[in-house]
Amino acid sequence: MSAAASPILLEAQGVEKRYDKFVALGGVDLKVRANTVHSVIGPNGAGKTTLFHMLTGTKTVSGGRILFDGHDVTREPDHRRVRRGMARSFQVTSLFLTLPVRENLRLAAQGVAPAMALNCWSPPVGRRSCADTVASVLARLGLERHADNPAGNLSHGQQRRLEVGMALAARPKAIFLDEPTSGMGIDDLDDMKRLIQGLKDEHTVVLIEHNMGIVMDISDTITVMQQGRVLAEGLPDAIRADERVRSAYLGNMITGGKA
Amino acid sequence: MTRHFHLLLALAIVVAMPLFMQSGSLASEVLIFGLAAMGCNLLLGYTGLLSFGQGIFFGLGSYTIGLLLTRWPLPMPLALAAAVGMGAAGAAIVGWVAIRQRGTYFVMLTLAFAQMFYFIAYSASGLTGGDNGLLDIPRPSLAVAGHTLWPLATPWQYYGFVAVLFLAAFWFLRRVCDSVFGRTLLAVRDNEERAAAVGYDLRLLKLQAFVISGAVTGLAGALHAMMTGIAPLSNAEYHTSEMILVMTVIGGTGNLLASVLGAAFYVLLGDWLSTLWPRWLLLLGVVLMVVSLGLQRGLWGLGESLWGLVRRKAPKNAPSAGLNATGDNA
Amino acid sequence: MSIYLLQTINGIGIGMLYFLLAVGLSIVFGLLRFVNFAHGAFYLLGAYFCYQMTRWGLSFWLALVVAPLAVGAIGWFTEKLMLRHVYAKPHEFHIIVTVGLALVVQELVILQWGPLGDSVAVPELLQGVVMWGSFVYPKYRLFVIGFTAVLAVLLWWVLEGTRLGSAVRAGSESTEMVSLLGLNVLRIFSLVFALGAATAALAGVLAAPIRGAEPFMGIEALGVAFVIVVVGGLGSFGGALVGGLLIGIVQSVMSTLWPEGARLMIYVAMAAVLLLRPHGLLGRKG
Repeated sequence: MSAAASPILLEAQGVEKRYDKFVALGGVDLKVRANTVHSVIGPNGAGKTTLFHMLTGTKTVSGGRILFDGHDVTREPDHRRVRRGMARSFQVTSLFLTLPVRENLRLAAQGVAPAMALNCWSPPVGRRSCADTVASVLARLGLERHADNPAGNLSHGQQRRLEVGMALAARPKAIFLDEPTSGMGIDDLDDMKRLIQGLKDEHTVVLIEHNMGIVMDISDTITVMQQGRVLAEGLPDAIRADERVRSAYLGNMITGGKA
Repeated sequence: MTRHFHLLLALAIVVAMPLFMQSGSLASEVLIFGLAAMGCNLLLGYTGLLSFGQGIFFGLGSYTIGLLLTRWPLPMPLALAAAVGMGAAGAAIVGWVAIRQRGTYFVMLTLAFAQMFYFIAYSASGLTGGDNGLLDIPRPSLAVAGHTLWPLATPWQYYGFVAVLFLAAFWFLRRVCDSVFGRTLLAVRDNEERAAAVGYDLRLLKLQAFVISGAVTGLAGALHAMMTGIAPLSNAEYHTSEMILVMTVIGGTGNLLASVLGAAFYVLLGDWLSTLWPRWLLLLGVVLMVVSLGLQRGLWGLGESLWGLVRRKAPKNAPSAGLNATGDNA
Repeated sequence: MSIYLLQTINGIGIGMLYFLLAVGLSIVFGLLRFVNFAHGAFYLLGAYFCYQMTRWGLSFWLALVVAPLAVGAIGWFTEKLMLRHVYAKPHEFHIIVTVGLALVVQELVILQWGPLGDSVAVPELLQGVVMWGSFVYPKYRLFVIGFTAVLAVLLWWVLEGTRLGSAVRAGSESTEMVSLLGLNVLRIFSLVFALGAATAALAGVLAAPIRGAEPFMGIEALGVAFVIVVVGGLGSFGGALVGGLLIGIVQSVMSTLWPEGARLMIYVAMAAVLLLRPHGLLGRKG
């Protein structure tokens, strides 16, 4: 229950990212503790998604180090980090739209043992179908009824949940959710909030979100970013009261409407 | 299971051709280009890779068997295996380099390689016979210790040999497409970024697809050379790569049998029309445009729609399940 | 006159023709994100329209104006009636539909004019050579260099100085933005595609007196155009110029040293650029 007690699972040390002359990240330090929900917030252009790309290996860093579970993963590409136990969802829904929901999840579950994907002889049945994982994720997402529909046929909210499910299917130690509620309506929001809260027991969640209501309610730690650097970090109440954070945002956006 | 259904269909085609056709060579040509089209479809329909380089592997197969049956003689089965190996090796090299780029740049890289191979084949006339190609390639019978097991002298005898190899290759390719690997390829075709993010090494997957495609196409090239007795430079020309692609697209990229259908369409139509009207390629060009504009699932898709109408069910809509009941990929 | 000087000037001449051939392909790709495999067919049509017009006794100069306009119109209609419908489809169909079109055009040409090819006479005004001290060179080829240079300036002015040009350059960055600005994006597409076809045809007309008109020149031209566009940079006007001249000069000079190698080399260059610097010498990243 006390977040400070659990060990540090993921650490970023002085992470930088430059695109030619543009500095997207100017030296970011981050410590994420195991079995916590650690949110990263900040105005648009703060570098949140870029930081995600660095942490998950979707893109390579220009400088700094990333340590995961005791290993230096700085130079490892995304498909290697998945095997270490890092899985991510995308800000813009990126599913296998022509394939059924069940197949999407099977592929995600299979991804942790990608050598099996080179097996050009055996069909994905029995052991290779990852049936248990797929079934449990489907249940958690509440998408059993749609298991055989192509992912492209789902509603937006359902697709966003499947996005989270894709990361879950990899049975990761750390799960990175990039704006999971983006574009969602009010009805779907509660489902998503409960889904994310339920992840804490078995996983560590790193979350980018703009919806302050959710961030304040479920986070154990919040890191605020601005223009490629960390502005402030701490417990939700501390962040809510922080003057620097308030002035970084226009208006009272971060209080989520509560005083 | 649908895999068995498709195998039976393939068997039916193989058995039907001798019953309905006059020319054994033409029937063999259908199966040979069927192999090449399937190899192309593994890359296009299953992995989403549009390769203009299939002529390289086809040519490599022809040249290899030509050299290994004339200049450095090996027993025919070994020479055939070597041709398959060369096709695979060529594809490994081309694939390993071309895969470094995606989309349009990938397509243009395969084009560049195809042209490079053509000019190398043209220049290395000591090996390839240059403009003339390799001539007088024999068609040795299948023999063991001097005992002739299977004479291949007449066209229909050769057809039998080609048919067996075709069915074996078809069965193998079906297995590949239905395997974990085949299903992962579909994911790569659907959304590369996601496939990488989920943990797959795209390079290895694409490379393996290339190698299998090259092997099958090399086999086709070798069988073609044995049938015609020559390994011409034209096998390495842009036109050959283009025509293999054309057959694949016209047949439909949805499944392997569709590729065979496309090859049959091209070969048979060409044979029938080219004596009547030398400019039959005009018709082919029109078919290509029609397929691109409206009939993306090719002739196979057309057949499916018609069948659906006949059975008075609604035809399947275009953006449908990636894995539908017939195990197709679209 | 030294053979290398001769070959270099030849190379410049060929290079300028290559530029004219490639610039349309490059700009079309920059704006439409479309690799037009029928581009060689427009070049082919230009050469044959020129041939036909001279056969009818009309002047070469008339053909120089009419052929590009006619082929440009064909390009316009092709985009409007056909290509527009494939933009939304998977990219392989963009390529396949233009491959089909190229086949159709080639076969129609053979149907109309036979498979063998014909020569086209150099216009009277430009027959013969220019002599200046020890410098001897065909008048027509000098004309080609001069004419294409003027055309290059004209095209550059259109792209940099006119509203259409700005729209094309903006559209290469983002077609959404252009439509938000109130410009009819689809009409610009048709216009650009027509311009691409017209420039290719113009290259065909200019090339005809040098190498004749022959049905398979379309495919050959397409291959070279791809090399130039890749080396120079897809979508770049300057790249087409630099790429064209570079390839033209290298090819010309190499043809005295190692003829087959010249053809091989340009494709090796293409592959190298695609691997090391895919946006080409002057193209933009991304």
